[in-house]
Amino acid sequence: MSATGLPRDVRMNLERSVVLLVDDNPQALELLSAMFRGFGVHRQVKSTSAKDAQNIVKSRELDLIVIDTAMPGMSGYDFVRWLRREAPEDARFTPVIMLTGHAARATVESSRDCGANFILAKPFTPEVLLQRIYWVAKDERQIVCCETYVGPDRRFKNMGPPLGKKGRRKDDLTGKLGVAKEPNMVQDEIDALMRPQKVQL
Amino acid sequence: MSEAQFIKPRYKLTDQIGREGGMTAGMAGERARRELSAEEEKARQAVRATIARIEDLCRTRDAGMDAVYDLSTEVLDVAGLYDDRPLSESAYALCELTDRLRTTGREDWSAVKVFVEAMKGIWAAEGPARDQIKSVLEGLWALIDHVKMPEAEEPAA
Repeated sequence: MSATGLPRDVRMNLERSVVLLVDDNPQALELLSAMFRGFGVHRQVKSTSAKDAQNIVKSRELDLIVIDTAMPGMSGYDFVRWLRREAPEDARFTPVIMLTGHAARATVESSRDCGANFILAKPFTPEVLLQRIYWVAKDERQIVCCETYVGPDRRFKNMGPPLGKKGRRKDDLTGKLGVAKEPNMVQDEIDALMRPQKVQL
Repeated sequence: MSEAQFIKPRYKLTDQIGREGGMTAGMAGERARRELSAEEEKARQAVRATIARIEDLCRTRDAGMDAVYDLSTEVLDVAGLYDDRPLSESAYALCELTDRLRTTGREDWSAVKVFVEAMKGIWAAEGPARDQIKSVLEGLWALIDHVKMPEAEEPAA
């Protein structure tokens, strides 16, 4: 296992994926691009503003969008809200990973309701980002569309731990069986249960 | 939309990621780290320049806390992609300080200056000096605790 929990020997092929990277900080955008080059993503589209990213979404087919949250003008949150509600229909549910630094007070509610698949807080390692990409690709959640929210179903209950993670979520059924209420069955009783029997209809 | 609709999208990424070829997660992680290393000198220069700009603002005081917030976000943006936790945490703490100050309509350049000095110290720290960073960060958070938010204030007696 790697430090992230994603097994190191899991194979991933991102050679044909088209990824849109959006960050208003040119230096951070270059670094993000370098990370994706390392992941084998050759088809990258880069943008330093959410407004430009809107035009890219309208004109290109994308497989994944990775966007910074805090940007001047249109924020990453506003972009995802637009994507989920107003973008061309075939692009509307493109998976989105949002990268966040500091969550300013004014944006906390926006981040909760914007409809991104995952939000990843900085600092992070390349392995953690790769794990989120893997999770997005294997994400089986439905998209919920209602007046106040459009995005992946946020109810993880009973879905078990994320892929590649061991353990249980807080609300999952416990693994403890408790104390036996009856004595153990003897082998003859078990055999009797397994024996084929005639069924009366 | 009156009732919630549920849609099960089929992501192209799901098909692509499972195609033959590609590489292992371990290999992809190592390659990404190599790519980042190649950019490291430029990134370090950018961080150094941004910290210097915050320091200039402390001297001239001709901008508000919004400007300091934006610059500390820049430091966090770059340091965060290198998983530089001490520098990221100090930049995050400066974001928190300036966010609290601007939310309550205040400015405190002396406090910002303390953060800048701390960031410069963290930036320069190597070897045993890195062991002291934890206490520096604790000091920064203790300073932030003194900047009370309106909802945290005690009700008047």
